[in-house]
Amino acid sequence: MQKRSFGERAAHFLIHLILAIYAFICTYPFVLTFMVSLSSEKSVIDNGYQLIPEEFSLLAYKTIFEDSSIYYAYGVSIFVTTVGTLLSLLICGMAGYAMSLNRVRYRNAISMYFYIPMVFNAGLLPWYMVCTQLLHLQNTIMALILPMLVSSFNIFLMRNYFKTIPASLIESADIDGCGVMRTFFQVVLPLSKPIIATVALFVGLAYWNDWSLALWFIDERNLFPLQYMLFRIESMMEFIRKNGYIGGFEFPAQTYQIATLFVTIGPIILLYPLIQRYFVKGIMIGAVKG
Amino acid sequence: MIGMKSSKTAASLQSGKQKHAFLKEMKRNWPYYLMILPAASILFIFAYLPYPGLIVAFQDFNFVDKFKSPFVGLNNFKFYFTSTYALRTTFNTLFININYLFWTTLFSVSFAIMLNEVRTKLLKKIYQNAMFLPYFFSAVIIGKLVTDIVFSDQYGIANQVIKLFGGQPVIWSQTAEPWGWIIIGTHIWQVAGYNSIIYLAGITGIDEQLFEAAALDGATRWKQIKTILLPLLLPTIITMMLLSIGGMLRGDFGTIYSIVGDNGLLFKHTDVIDTYVFRAIKQAADFGPTAAVGLYQSVVGFILVFGSNYLVKKYNEDYALF
Repeated sequence: MQKRSFGERAAHFLIHLILAIYAFICTYPFVLTFMVSLSSEKSVIDNGYQLIPEEFSLLAYKTIFEDSSIYYAYGVSIFVTTVGTLLSLLICGMAGYAMSLNRVRYRNAISMYFYIPMVFNAGLLPWYMVCTQLLHLQNTIMALILPMLVSSFNIFLMRNYFKTIPASLIESADIDGCGVMRTFFQVVLPLSKPIIATVALFVGLAYWNDWSLALWFIDERNLFPLQYMLFRIESMMEFIRKNGYIGGFEFPAQTYQIATLFVTIGPIILLYPLIQRYFVKGIMIGAVKG
Repeated sequence: MIGMKSSKTAASLQSGKQKHAFLKEMKRNWPYYLMILPAASILFIFAYLPYPGLIVAFQDFNFVDKFKSPFVGLNNFKFYFTSTYALRTTFNTLFININYLFWTTLFSVSFAIMLNEVRTKLLKKIYQNAMFLPYFFSAVIIGKLVTDIVFSDQYGIANQVIKLFGGQPVIWSQTAEPWGWIIIGTHIWQVAGYNSIIYLAGITGIDEQLFEAAALDGATRWKQIKTILLPLLLPTIITMMLLSIGGMLRGDFGTIYSIVGDNGLLFKHTDVIDTYVFRAIKQAADFGPTAAVGLYQSVVGFILVFGSNYLVKKYNEDYALF
């Protein structure tokens, strides 16, 4: 290997410096959030947010988990994410598979049908009216699942991947008398694990992180997903204070907010190693195939 | 006469043939069409059924007559475009989106190039994972971080830094001017790391031999980046830009609303078309003008998608999306 010149070494130092600073900026707020959520209310009021709080306290977490709202919110979020992701994968996967086959004659017309809403949509109001006047989705759990179930983009992503599966494999399964659905589940899906994992992550994350559907359709407290509960935290605190806050302490208003923030972040941080691995892979697939 | 008649029969024969072909196709491949049906019907409900609802844009909508409400021509458009909101929301939307596009591209391409230069595998992975992190959190979490952790009036990081340098703390919740830029900065912070991975994938796809040959000819690394890497990355950059240009008149509603909420003091620099529409529907139930605004967004978005794609196609066919 050639020895690097001084200029090149300086450039490399600068690159590392910039990347390290940016990496710090990206992670620091989350670390600070975690530490503040562990502080006592008093040290936040006295000293502001500190990376190492003067006095530790779990009171904020205790207050959160004493109230039933958090369990409902977790329940709603977990239900919506699992059911939504599984259904979405099944429905979009089947459509993408059928559209990937050359034997399906009208596949191009059908692609067009899925493509049009991507470039021209009717806007929020007509969509809102269909959801509320026609489907009556207000205050139902389906309001949080149905509107996001079909994504043309994901259908195309999967279709493009399925196209790379050798047609001979599918034909020979056909000849062996394997039914259409069985071919799909037992031959095609096992060969498509990378794309399925990636789309599952995209969709799962979208469901877990969504709060706008709740903003549009949900007023009932027990149907709030986690994200929306966090969005309404001020009114949540009001509610908890009025209805059966039995801490016997001063209500930890500051740390309660921050701790709720961290409770919402928690699952993603825990799953992060898994998430980031498949995301990087998925982006690579998308970049190569797209 | 006779000629016409015969052409008519030919046409009906043709359509009969087509019908026959359709039936034959259905008979042969019905299970596959059945597989498409669930996705197609759900898309129909949520994307196609709203289309006729656009009629509301030309009506004085009321809940008794619903879609049979009286027609008012272009009054709804007039109502929006002559209000003070039109200029403010359109300006803010464009200002925020153009800055989103420009800065995000600049930052993520730069980060991708820098990451590509990092030779230590472990460090590269650490940088990537850290930069990637904000992308995975919901708009609400990002919004709360921005308003409660960074720009909180009392305890926020921003005011701590200002105080550290001897400045006067700012009452952020009542100062409108910085918020446009805060929203732009937040967006860059959230997506630059993620997008840089996409560009990095593009860079990894470039043939390593090109760089080696250039190095043998004595080109410095910087020169290699300028003359080989950037031109070869250009198609990816253009594709990414084309993909986001159709949304120029839509706002990043999730992030903006979770940061600003209903804090009217900040609207001057933060109110975009989508937040205006949201308030008009949920709070004022102002349906006619809202549908008009939606139609305006969709039509402009449609024109932008096809217009920019056309221009790119004229410049270089390979770079166009379709």
